[in-house]
Amino acid sequence: MPDALRRLLGTPQGQLGSLIVFAAVLLAILGPALAPYNPEQFHITARFQGPSSRFWLGTDQFGRDLLSRIMMGARSTLPLALLATVIGTGLGAVIGTLSAFLGGRADEAIMRTVDAVMAIPGLLFALLIVTSLGANAFNAILAIGIAFAPSMVRITRSVALAVRSQDYVKAAIARGESSRFIVVREMLPNVIAPIVVETTIRVSFAVMTLATLSFLGLGAQPPSSEWGLMVSEARSYLFRNPWMMVWPGLAIAMIAVGFNLLGDGLRDALNPRTSE
Amino acid sequence: MSINYLLKRILTILFTLFVVSLLVFGITQVLPGDAAVMLLGENATAEQLAAVRERLGLDASLAVQYLHWLAGVLHSDFGTSLRTGLPVTEMMFPALGRSLLLALLSIGLMLIIAIPLGILAALRRGGPTDLGVSLASYVGVSLPEFVTATLVLITLANPAFGLFPATGYVPLSEEFWRGLHHLVLPVLTVSIILIAHVMRMVRSELVDVLHTDYVRAARLKGLSPRRVLFRHALRNALLPTITIVALDVGYLLGGIIVVEEIFAFPGIGRELIVAINARDLPAIQAGALIMAATYALSNFMADLAYAALDKRIQYA
Amino acid sequence: MSNHLKFDRRQFLAGTALGAAALAGTTGLPGIALAQGRSGGVMRVSTDQAPSKLNPLLHRVNPEYVLGELLYSGLTRLGPEMQAEPDLAESWTSNQELTEWTFKLRPDVTFHDGSKLTAKDVVASFEAMLDPKTGSAARTNIGPIARVAAADDATVVFSLKGAYADLPVALAYTNAKIVPAAIVTGDMARLDREAIGTGPFKLVSYEPARLTVVERNPNYFIKDRPRLDRIELVVYPDPTAEASALIAGDTDLMLQVSPADYKRVSGASGVKGLRTPSGQFLNVILGCDQKPFNDARVRKALALAVDREAMVELVAEGLGSPGNDTPINSAYRFYQELPMREANIAQAKKLLTEAGYPNGLNLTLVASDRPSTRTQLGVALRELAKPAGFNIEVQTMPHATYLDQVWTKGAFYVGFYNMQPTADGIFSLLYTSDAAWNETKWNNKEFDRLIAEARSTADEAKRRDLYAQAQKLMHEEVPTVIPVFFDLLSAQRDYVQGYQLHPRGAVYRLDYVSLSDKAPKRG
Repeated sequence: MPDALRRLLGTPQGQLGSLIVFAAVLLAILGPALAPYNPEQFHITARFQGPSSRFWLGTDQFGRDLLSRIMMGARSTLPLALLATVIGTGLGAVIGTLSAFLGGRADEAIMRTVDAVMAIPGLLFALLIVTSLGANAFNAILAIGIAFAPSMVRITRSVALAVRSQDYVKAAIARGESSRFIVVREMLPNVIAPIVVETTIRVSFAVMTLATLSFLGLGAQPPSSEWGLMVSEARSYLFRNPWMMVWPGLAIAMIAVGFNLLGDGLRDALNPRTSE
Repeated sequence: MSINYLLKRILTILFTLFVVSLLVFGITQVLPGDAAVMLLGENATAEQLAAVRERLGLDASLAVQYLHWLAGVLHSDFGTSLRTGLPVTEMMFPALGRSLLLALLSIGLMLIIAIPLGILAALRRGGPTDLGVSLASYVGVSLPEFVTATLVLITLANPAFGLFPATGYVPLSEEFWRGLHHLVLPVLTVSIILIAHVMRMVRSELVDVLHTDYVRAARLKGLSPRRVLFRHALRNALLPTITIVALDVGYLLGGIIVVEEIFAFPGIGRELIVAINARDLPAIQAGALIMAATYALSNFMADLAYAALDKRIQYA
Repeated sequence: MSNHLKFDRRQFLAGTALGAAALAGTTGLPGIALAQGRSGGVMRVSTDQAPSKLNPLLHRVNPEYVLGELLYSGLTRLGPEMQAEPDLAESWTSNQELTEWTFKLRPDVTFHDGSKLTAKDVVASFEAMLDPKTGSAARTNIGPIARVAAADDATVVFSLKGAYADLPVALAYTNAKIVPAAIVTGDMARLDREAIGTGPFKLVSYEPARLTVVERNPNYFIKDRPRLDRIELVVYPDPTAEASALIAGDTDLMLQVSPADYKRVSGASGVKGLRTPSGQFLNVILGCDQKPFNDARVRKALALAVDREAMVELVAEGLGSPGNDTPINSAYRFYQELPMREANIAQAKKLLTEAGYPNGLNLTLVASDRPSTRTQLGVALRELAKPAGFNIEVQTMPHATYLDQVWTKGAFYVGFYNMQPTADGIFSLLYTSDAAWNETKWNNKEFDRLIAEARSTADEAKRRDLYAQAQKLMHEEVPTVIPVFFDLLSAQRDYVQGYQLHPRGAVYRLDYVSLSDKAPKRG
């Protein structure tokens, strides 16, 4: 493990990615404590301001400090995106590994169904689910998680298949270990590495999809400061104070880039065989 | 490509479409908001609601309702919109046509830009061009469509500059040049992300291929670099591109929803959003089914194309 | 006895683009003195919602009202000063008790399909409006009608359930349009796709989500109108795109401009902003039949927590006026000025404690997403009411769900209403016990009595006094908090002539509009 970490931090992607993600997590944890103003407080006489010494990133339509709002928004955007990814990965990993283990007809049936489900584009799928369940942040995460699951199934399955034929699994079968033991104790740990990589990259998609859903009014609801929602609300004021839209947009982009970079770095670090 | 293979693929896609229809129908049936109330409005009495529910067949079991719907779909009858009272088909299919126009133009633009740039980056690997392309790709892939769209709006559609209209759509059949003018911004926005995707893919595939023994052997044989590039390396690198383009159609169907919403482009994505906001169940089902089916079909075509070209190219 | 409603003309005229050329006289005849422009041409009007329904009896949103006016006619129409003008009815009289009204129809009116208009069509249309199965909003907004009958081919008699002074104005209601009897008894569904009316324009094409086109009706019963050849109604669901289109000259008239955009749009070159004070308001409905709002102290506390000037600033961008917790403002004829309620946090806290909430009160406020000002009000209220101890969570939802689950049912939500032509209109629409949209469930007997009496007399002074008492009662009991009234905002290209922003908010009178020579020639 520490070996991989050293490799990770050796590449520029790994460094930059780790830095961004670390900063984001820090922000999410400490967030509002560091914020210069109460994110919900109105400053009625200072509305629609651009960056100034008093409000570093400017203010919104209610005179709320944009910097403080963005910092608080990290608390919505980041954990929600992570949760969605975890749900999707968890769901996908379990089904994928199970399918690989079962093999034969069952495997075939499961995969065909998964392929069919993947025929629905991710955003569309998430849209439908959120529409049915009701538009709020929690349902949005659930929807994104479910929409992500099929592709995770494929990945875990292909990795699990490769692992399954390994000797130590055969040995466990020969020992007479229960299926559950084999799946959990022998196969899963070796499946982890590619999954970790994919998951990291998925977080970036989750951030963007969550922001998009909030943008369409189907995710976080006002007065939340989730970044996608901030962009959506800022649209009406596009020409009065473009900064209202720029900062959350940039924040989303940075997080997405950060996780992408981290994912790339991890891919190289955990798999020294892949060359560039 | 054998008949066997073809048949197998066709069966697969039929199964896929079936599962998709089940999913779409199933998910939307959980929708809150009684269709009968939507239709009659708040002033309706209980008897009227019951009557309308019966008329719409809402009192039958789910399975029966599904079969009923499916039967209709196979006859190209998606029911009547709860919002407008017009047949859903009338609304959805012209919208689909317009979305396809947007998608095709975007893909066209993407091919013209992404492929040459990807090639360039691969050839000048490690250099400033490569770095620039990689950076642009990263950013392009990390910006959600609505952010890109808004940036495009602020800059190119800014009334101060008066370059492009921020508006949606004028049919090309009515006024060709004006129609084209209105298409520029949506097409550009959609293309940006496609370009980012494909550029990256072309570059990395080409880099891989250029290092294979096969290509090295060709070079050693004394073939000119250009010949090597075009006749051998490129074709192999472009093969996965077909897959990416097909996958992008799926992405397009997602991203296009947002772009159509922002630019008020009357495509199927926007119809879907309007239907969702109005709880127009038949329209939602139709829109989702059509979009998913288009994606599945384009994947199917890509698979076929891949299979057809594969043998010929690899061992040419 | 016919009635005219006058209200403060100065206020109304102050906002319109053509204040100088405004209406002649008080005879109630359509303004002949309007600017003469070139007749003909194509005008493009933009709107932010799709007109999903073509059947005028079912219209509910502004773009639909536009089409209703263009394609259909009612017995009367609403003049710029909220007076009833003749439309299909040439003249009208009533009996002394105001319980029976007789309307004489204009001769030689034909529907778009060529059939002649007779009293039978009027009777059939009103019967359809009053029939609950139709589901028309007109049913509860055209007055207490018991029966409609045709005295002869050209005369219609309305028998009312009670005395009602405002019938002619009520019959100008947006949904009260006349359609052929044959359609009513035959196939009403035809009206979903075709427009068979008597209006100044005929339907050419209808694509609700995108574009609707209407063209001049050569057989319209007023000879020198409409002044345009064609009108195209274009839908822009994105307000930024809509504003950009007007500024770029792609459209000629923007029906509604958001307060946030108004300054920018009206300042653009070639664009003229239109602004008029109106009775349009956002309010916070308090369910008076359940806790905690059944206690008047809690309601008053909330009202005292609101800084109304701040609300006007935050929600209407200063383009409005503060509300005093009654739905009647100076744009209405029977407005009674009362001392404006000032925010008093200390007093609010005190009342809450007295009512049994010394540690504050947790509430959930529902705000639909259309228009977006609802949510803004919600968020602003949350912040402003915090110091007084109100802990408000704002819950937004799509407009369709809101209409379905919350409207007239919920205990605490944000409402939004256009101005009505009469004080009685808004009072009996929302606040009497038998109101069709009784959202507050206030059910105050004294209030009901005042309204019922005011409606059944034609004595101006008496009405004024009764309505003043009603307003005072609402202001004191606060069944709903009404913090802000909106000015109506619109914008047009400067070559558009004759368009006047009507405070009612749902009346457009586009048949009076013409284009100057500077207008672009559209195909």
